[in-house]
Amino acid sequence: MIALRDIHKRYARVHAVRGVSLEIPKGQVVGILGPNGAGKSTTIRMIAGAIPPTEGSVSLDGLDSVGDSVAVRRCIGYLPEANPLYPEMRVIDYLRYRTRLFAMPRSGRSSAIQHAMERCKVDDMARRRIGALSKGYRQRVGLAAALLHDPPVLILDEPTSGLDPAQIAETRSLITELAGDRTMLLVSHVLPEVEKTCDRIIVFAAGTVRADGAPSELMKTGTPRFTVECSAGLKEALGSVPGVASVETEHLKDGFERHAITGAPDADPREALFEKAKGTGVTLRELKREVEPLERFYLRLVERAQREDAR
Amino acid sequence: MSALIGVMLRELGSFFRTPVGWLACAIFAFLSALFVAPQSLVPGEPATLRAFFGVGHWLLLFVAPALSMRLIAEERRSGTNETLMTSPASDWAVVFGKYLAACCFLLVMLLPTLAFPLALEYASDPDYGPILSGYLGLVLTGFLYLSMGLLFSALTSSQVIAFLGTLLFFVALAFVSSQGAQYAPEPLDGVLRALSIDARLADFARGVIDTRHIVFFVSMSLWITSLAVVPLEWRRWR
Repeated sequence: MIALRDIHKRYARVHAVRGVSLEIPKGQVVGILGPNGAGKSTTIRMIAGAIPPTEGSVSLDGLDSVGDSVAVRRCIGYLPEANPLYPEMRVIDYLRYRTRLFAMPRSGRSSAIQHAMERCKVDDMARRRIGALSKGYRQRVGLAAALLHDPPVLILDEPTSGLDPAQIAETRSLITELAGDRTMLLVSHVLPEVEKTCDRIIVFAAGTVRADGAPSELMKTGTPRFTVECSAGLKEALGSVPGVASVETEHLKDGFERHAITGAPDADPREALFEKAKGTGVTLRELKREVEPLERFYLRLVERAQREDAR
Repeated sequence: MSALIGVMLRELGSFFRTPVGWLACAIFAFLSALFVAPQSLVPGEPATLRAFFGVGHWLLLFVAPALSMRLIAEERRSGTNETLMTSPASDWAVVFGKYLAACCFLLVMLLPTLAFPLALEYASDPDYGPILSGYLGLVLTGFLYLSMGLLFSALTSSQVIAFLGTLLFFVALAFVSSQGAQYAPEPLDGVLRALSIDARLADFARGVIDTRHIVFFVSMSLWITSLAVVPLEWRRWR
């Protein structure tokens, strides 16, 4: 389990991360979202052991990221945002170099390299210079390097950044494959990518965690909205249902009405709406809760955070 | 140890995969030949490589910083230090791996100059004692220059600053240990003379292998290389 306890990161003039506490259980795939400068990359760099927190602690299975730094780094596969590689090296030489950095047993190095190259589909590029590869292939080489020592924790910082749509789709399916039973932290600006891949989403803004939960749960946290579609005659009755804040009605061509209902905060008046429809004798053909798209939820959250930060 | 070997092999390979390494080899061989040829094979004079050893360490003063300037600064510029720092490799393994790679490359760079003693052998009957000791002095000086270059490379992400810092440091050292020593009061003058690289190299070129000189070069090189670990550790924990 990864545990962050009240971590702060301060630079000369910037307080980049402000008291973040999180627990990430083993095997969870976590998407980390946030605008530029929100503190998400700084946080994962602290988890990866690239930088220490100014205050607080980061631990992995009880091992402290500062005190037991080497043991922690051995458990983590990390693909930084810019995917830095050595362009003059051949793919296989680079992976061989990484096996030595991780002090992998000599006998298992070749098979580990072959396995990582096959998983990331770069085995046909093994003898090519990294600098001569396309961006998509370079991203795969970075992923293969992160996977090489079969780490239980994989941290990927914007793995699809700068890729074309086809490459994004390829990399996304690769990431889904790689997740398996690993703990994975995925930093991304691509909301559908996170929504499809992750069990949990953490939204950062202004150096703090603004939202944390399963994608489906997060999308329910906005103002509750419901749709009722029924035969005419229910409009006046709807306003008196407890938990209903406002109703907008649209008359449909087939004589039915569609009522867009805004609920009171934290209210779920669906059962009461059903009983009201039943009591008035109208024909009810649809009653559903509208789920707020992740994008709208995210933008609302970030705007609020920016407003608060500006104050 | 595995990480140290990994870093060393990668760095050594990088010298040969990039033009900088080959360019440094070619320039060093060309310039040393240019200076050596007219002064080492003079009819009626003893066949020695003193001219080469005299000019060699000045050439190294430019070539060694050019080799060492990129060792750590380039990792920082390109961002590859991020993957290096998040691997379990220790900063010691990284620094000494890079240093050993640069030293190995320096030895490779000196290989073409073995043509000079071969030419002397062809033309006359040279005394190999001063030649061997002269090479030893040149190699030790090169190692010292590389260690200082590595330290400057660890201190800055600008390769130009790393190059100029190393160059200026040794030019200043040469000036202080010769001119400064003349005017300095006792016992400071003795300390300044002890720092002179020229004087020690003159002994090597004469065929004198003084263990004090060897201890000076080896200990200074190791000490300065160890200092290069400090900026890396500092960046990791600040």
